[in-house]
Amino acid sequence: MRLYSVFLRHQLTWGRAAVIAGLGALAVLIGLTITLQSTEKVVDGTEFINGFGFTVVVPVAALMFASAVLGDTVDDRTLVYLWLSPVPRLQVAVAATLASITIALPLVFVPLVIAAAATGAGPALVGATAVATIVGVIGYCGAFVALGLRFRRALVWGIAYILLWEGFVATASETAAKLSLRAYTSSLLSQFTGVGLRLGTLTVGSAVVVPLVVCVLATLLTARLLGRADID
Amino acid sequence: MTAPVAAAPAPGVSGFGPGAPMVEVEGCTRWFGDVVAVSEVSFSLPAGVTALLGPNGAGKSTLLRLLCGLVAPARGTVRVLGRDPRTDLLVKGLIGLVPQQETVFDRLTALEFVEMCALLRGVEDPRAAAEHALSIVELDPGDTRWLPTYSRGMRQRVKVAQAIVHRPQVLVLDEPLTGLDPRQRRHMTDLFHALGRDGLCVIVSSHVLEEVERFGSNVLVIVQGRLAAEGDFRAIRDLMDDRPHRIRLRTDQPHALSGALLADGTIVGLDVVGSDTVIVETTRVSELRVGVTKVAADLDVHLWEVVPLDDDLDSVFRYLVGR
Repeated sequence: MRLYSVFLRHQLTWGRAAVIAGLGALAVLIGLTITLQSTEKVVDGTEFINGFGFTVVVPVAALMFASAVLGDTVDDRTLVYLWLSPVPRLQVAVAATLASITIALPLVFVPLVIAAAATGAGPALVGATAVATIVGVIGYCGAFVALGLRFRRALVWGIAYILLWEGFVATASETAAKLSLRAYTSSLLSQFTGVGLRLGTLTVGSAVVVPLVVCVLATLLTARLLGRADID
Repeated sequence: MTAPVAAAPAPGVSGFGPGAPMVEVEGCTRWFGDVVAVSEVSFSLPAGVTALLGPNGAGKSTLLRLLCGLVAPARGTVRVLGRDPRTDLLVKGLIGLVPQQETVFDRLTALEFVEMCALLRGVEDPRAAAEHALSIVELDPGDTRWLPTYSRGMRQRVKVAQAIVHRPQVLVLDEPLTGLDPRQRRHMTDLFHALGRDGLCVIVSSHVLEEVERFGSNVLVIVQGRLAAEGDFRAIRDLMDDRPHRIRLRTDQPHALSGALLADGTIVGLDVVGSDTVIVETTRVSELRVGVTKVAADLDVHLWEVVPLDDDLDSVFRYLVGR
């Protein structure tokens, strides 16, 4: 619990919170614009939430917080104080992942759900956005905590994954799409609203379960990396 | 001074009575890329204070990181209290480390930071232990300022407090006196000695010879990743028979005395540096110490002073590093 609270304090900075809050406010504004101008609110609203909320806001928020939770302790060399504690590495990894989810989730959940409601597309989009945000944040946070521990420039690697892999490679083949978390959030939106989306072809069950499994596996990987890392 | 923190009895770790090695390093090698940081190092340390000495880049910090399990040896073994510090969680809780880096968690007070370390290491009453540890290093537990606002010396003392808060059995200190004023340096040196007397194995690294001399005579000298010498530095000096000892004699007849010593083979060189002083060189220092008074008596000369010039740590270190 104490480790969890230390991670919470360590990663939440005004700069990061301002960036995510700004993106969230932008999402709400665009949502309002859609409801005022669109004649196909369900289609336009779903495509907007998918194209902006789950392509930019959710992965970027998760990347900023999750990659920092252990990555910052590597960079400023405070990891040594945590590492020397007789606490199982899995506990450290779980605390770090939970802390990043705790911060990232409310920061993106509230504005994205409001933005979805503001589009006027109806309760299906609002519900899909809520579920997909929770699932997406959990999946991305698990993966990006491990990324932050493994790589010094985790933000660059994370952005590269979001832009190159999820933006281009995942669209090229079905197999690559399954290795992209965005495919699962898109599928939830598509299945709930009935709007056809690129990458949105997976079932609701797999779209919910796979990101959670990704988070669990990534947390195990983080624990393993912690055990094998050279600590400065 | 507040009573220092005595080592906690460690469940599951036993058999480390007086003189028994608490730290054992056997054939340890570690490299980073093409750079060999530590090469084939072996030693063992009992309770007490041992100074780890070496020039910058000699491999001191890597050796300390190996002792704490922060890095794994590429070859060889490290045992702390009979266990592997890299993988054994139990022994991690029995090691206290003052790392070289100055950074600490930047949004915590000193008390919160030390309390967090105590809690993570399983201390029963972490708040009380943290307050006690901070008072030992003469910091105010009630200070509500965040750590980045502390001076360098205060942060250094906070690092020492977190290293002793859980009553470790092995205390590893990497340049612990950096940034401290002379009074605090003295206070910390006294603290480390007190902990050593209480049965802790205290390992202190430094490249400042004056500091090391204050930590005591037991040293490990590391040069270019290799262990150049270990033990009492005066004994190390005595063993360096390829380097003649230099001894200053003050006498009313320096020429006569040194001439007699040269004639009987006790000294191998001499340098008369004044009307009453001669510096002699000898490879038979024990014989000189015993015999010089007899020679002086036989010659009926006054002998006022016999001062060894190069059995201090500085000389030993220069000889070892310069080899």
